Amino acid sequence: MTIRRYLRLLPVVPSVLLLLVFLLAPVAWSFYASFTNAALSGRAARDPQWVGLENYVRMFSDDSFPLAAWLTVVFVAASAVLGQNVLGLLIALLMRRSRKAVSSWVGTAVVAAWILPEIVAAFAAYAYFNRDGTLNQMLALFGGKGPDWLYTFPLVAIILANTWRGTAFSMLVYRAALADVPQDVSEAALMDGAQGWQRLAFITLPLIRSSIATNLMLITLQTLAVFTLIWVMTAGGPANASTTLPVLAYQEAFKFGDIGYGTAVASVLIVLGVVFGAVYVRLLREQKP
Amino acid sequence: MSRPRIAADIALAVIGFCFVAPLLWLLLAAVDPHAGYQTAVPSAPSMDNFGAVFTPELLFQPLTNSFLLSAGTAAVNLVAAVLAAYPLSRYQSRFNKPFMYSVLFGTSLPVTAIMVPVYGLFVQLQLLDSMMATIFFMATTTLPMAIWMMKNFMDSVPLELEEAAWMDGASSMAALRTIVLPLMRQGLGVVFIFVFIQAWGNFFVPFILLLSTAKQPAAVSIFSFFGQHGAIAYGQLAAFSILYSVPVLLLYVLVSRSVGSSFALSGSVKG
Amino acid sequence: MRRPMRFATVLPVVAALLAATACSSTPPAAENKTLKIVYQKSDSFTALDTVMQDAKKEFEAANSSVTVNLEPIQANDDDYGTKLALAQRSPDTAPDVFYEDTFKVRSDVDAGYLLKLDSYLEKWDDWSRFNEAAKAAGRADDGGIYAVPLGTDTRAIWYNKAVLQKAGIAVPWQPKTWEDILSTARAIKASDPSVIPFNMYAGKGTGEGTVMQSFYELLYGTDSTLYDEKEKKWVVGSQGFTDSLAFLKTLYDEKLAVSPAEALDANVWKKVFGEWFPQGKLAATVEGSYTPSFWQKGGAYEWAGYEQEMGVAMFPSRNGQEPGGVSMSGGWTLAVGAKSKNAELAFKFLTTALNKKNALAFDVNNSQIAVRTDVAAESSYLSANPFVKDVSELVKVTHYRPATADYPRISTAVQVATESVITGKQSPEDAAAEYDATVRKLVGDGKVLER
Repeated sequence: MTIRRYLRLLPVVPSVLLLLVFLLAPVAWSFYASFTNAALSGRAARDPQWVGLENYVRMFSDDSFPLAAWLTVVFVAASAVLGQNVLGLLIALLMRRSRKAVSSWVGTAVVAAWILPEIVAAFAAYAYFNRDGTLNQMLALFGGKGPDWLYTFPLVAIILANTWRGTAFSMLVYRAALADVPQDVSEAALMDGAQGWQRLAFITLPLIRSSIATNLMLITLQTLAVFTLIWVMTAGGPANASTTLPVLAYQEAFKFGDIGYGTAVASVLIVLGVVFGAVYVRLLREQKP
Repeated sequence: MSRPRIAADIALAVIGFCFVAPLLWLLLAAVDPHAGYQTAVPSAPSMDNFGAVFTPELLFQPLTNSFLLSAGTAAVNLVAAVLAAYPLSRYQSRFNKPFMYSVLFGTSLPVTAIMVPVYGLFVQLQLLDSMMATIFFMATTTLPMAIWMMKNFMDSVPLELEEAAWMDGASSMAALRTIVLPLMRQGLGVVFIFVFIQAWGNFFVPFILLLSTAKQPAAVSIFSFFGQHGAIAYGQLAAFSILYSVPVLLLYVLVSRSVGSSFALSGSVKG
Repeated sequence: MRRPMRFATVLPVVAALLAATACSSTPPAAENKTLKIVYQKSDSFTALDTVMQDAKKEFEAANSSVTVNLEPIQANDDDYGTKLALAQRSPDTAPDVFYEDTFKVRSDVDAGYLLKLDSYLEKWDDWSRFNEAAKAAGRADDGGIYAVPLGTDTRAIWYNKAVLQKAGIAVPWQPKTWEDILSTARAIKASDPSVIPFNMYAGKGTGEGTVMQSFYELLYGTDSTLYDEKEKKWVVGSQGFTDSLAFLKTLYDEKLAVSPAEALDANVWKKVFGEWFPQGKLAATVEGSYTPSFWQKGGAYEWAGYEQEMGVAMFPSRNGQEPGGVSMSGGWTLAVGAKSKNAELAFKFLTTALNKKNALAFDVNNSQIAVRTDVAAESSYLSANPFVKDVSELVKVTHYRPATADYPRISTAVQVATESVITGKQSPEDAAAEYDATVRKLVGDGKVLER
């Protein structure tokens, strides 16, 4: 009987194998390599040495790591928690009020930025924020002279770009969640001024509390991993001003050939992902008794 | 029509415009032989840019590679996820919960973070520059989400039909094949397309794991051809980008028509 | 007994999974041997591709059982280095013959990527035709030779005569000191603010170009140096280093160079050659002897009148001290992969690609300074462009990068320092101090020299 019960689980094996080989093994290897001086070139490439905590010590004595960690926090907070999340909720609320034609048109526009291949989105954002790009063209229409966004305000540019690219996800989540909220409740929320805002805060939002929590977790994790967008737009520059942790890990490992240090940075990112993941799983468990 | 409604329309339209603005450049530059970074209506619109990128080495081979990678990734996902979802959906076991939660946990690994170690692993296993291995890796990164979605789709297929089949002597795998899968065709399609779209747009993974030009998908070839900063052929870049994006946009439309636009979330969030 | 049925359906999947991951690369056919050749190709660098295509034809005609697979990597110098290194790590992706920058030779020899060529070179008659500097370019710490250069280069000031004349500066122009450069640049700026008076690369974007075509011309013209060859130690804390950074800061702060934003663009050099010089928007810059290759017929940015419109000058030492000027030399080589299964054939291909005919074609098309004495004597080489003589004479004042395995990482540290200075993130003093700290960390306190 018990054997049978185990046999029933057999079809799970391919998935488990895949997850072990391609997800768990790299994670394990990452932690291992972060204690070595593995490199792309030089003597350490042929014969990597165990260096103990050296990479981690360097991480905190270097300027670039604390800066990258801080930039990552700002990038995630501003583009995911604030940008995508609030904008997505706002769009979803507005859609409940507006004409069908308008809401479906806007929905398509928002989703298009999300469905585009990331490299295409990145090129489009690069052109948009370029010194001669569309954004400055529009500012010029109002008589303003825009800065060279990618150079002067690289962090602002990548935050806006990531908000643009990712809001669709939050919008879809909140549309689905609001669909379960009685129309008059959410509608009233937007209607009568101060009272409406209060209703939004005290009635609607508590009703979709679990969706908000899940959404926040998911977009935080997605934003934590953003690489291509930043790499194409600013390559982490100028002078590391937009180097988030994934960009730092790539640069150290592949551009400067320091695989050991690169994996140490990657390991920190993995730990961050695990922490957020644990919170996420907890949230879901509490939701479903 | 009430004022708040008009206000909502206007507010939405403004937001919508902000989202479209960065894409306008793409569309206009593609038909402008003298495109720069400015968004401008071309003085002499033409299809020259499309003509220029319409070559086997620039367009067809990378797109074929993209297709092989994406379809392979989606197929691996489908097979593995269906198999895994079946016992999870059909049998009560004390392993189910821990397994589902660890799967969920898997979705939270930042894939860009593990690329450095994955590269190291691929070197050790001599899998570098292998399409097959890259497919399996990409499939694994989307697998947790696929299993989660698949289980939810499967849960919605009533158990009674299968129980009847078991009575008739069919094995559970046969029941899965002949009864459950046909009933969740739509769900299978959704998972396939969901994974396909993700793989199609993936840049970083093939950028690190596939080294020879002949194997690189469009995401990588577009990057190396136009250089890190778009080089000088902006119009061609835009034209190529459009040709490369159209397939996934169409697929998305196809799916959202059939199951509603929140398809991608049906498994992950509401589950 | 229905349960076994399920096994039957599942097992093949598992097996397929394992099989697919285990043997993903197809083994080479037993009979027909293939050689994998990896090199760089880009929209502005096709000279090597042409040579490789020719060499492939020549080689396959002479060796009918061998297939030569050309695998050009489309990337700039920096990304090419990364991609090549990524491929080197694994025996089944490592190339048989590849294009390698001289400054990476020692580091990659240490990594075990390059095959020692001494025993092969003995049997190659043409080797005696390579000049001494060329032979040294591929030498590693153990005295063995691991790479054969395709050509070499020097660096000089290139200037647009018309732009200088418009600002009232007499041509030919030859600045004697750093101050001369600044005063001329300021004069140009004053006469036409829309012109970029004197550009020098900086930052990580231009990679090795930042040090070779900018920072080292400054540093080696002070009384300091990067590396003490006698003591075999890296120099830290030198005034020359700080002063060189300060010079760059002056150029960028006074807007005598491009804007820092443009300087950090990895493709800024394309604009230098493709737009600014031909359109008269740039007065002068420091660039390599290969400059004419972009403008000559068949080059990436053909410019019919460049021979008349451009001039070349030696980069001066700081106060004009002996020997009066500075240049830097580098160049690229071909090497054989240490993991090559057909080393003999790979070397044979290398000699085909570097024979007199192909070397001449490469040196002419890519405006390289010849390293083969027989090529250097060819009239078609000497008359390839009007600047061959000028840039070849700079060999007298030229410097080479420290030939050590640590060099590539030190170079990155220098690039970081220049980027911090021109973007205003750090003062020259602070950036130099951070460079010193990085060097100490990279090579250890025992291998630095305080000066």
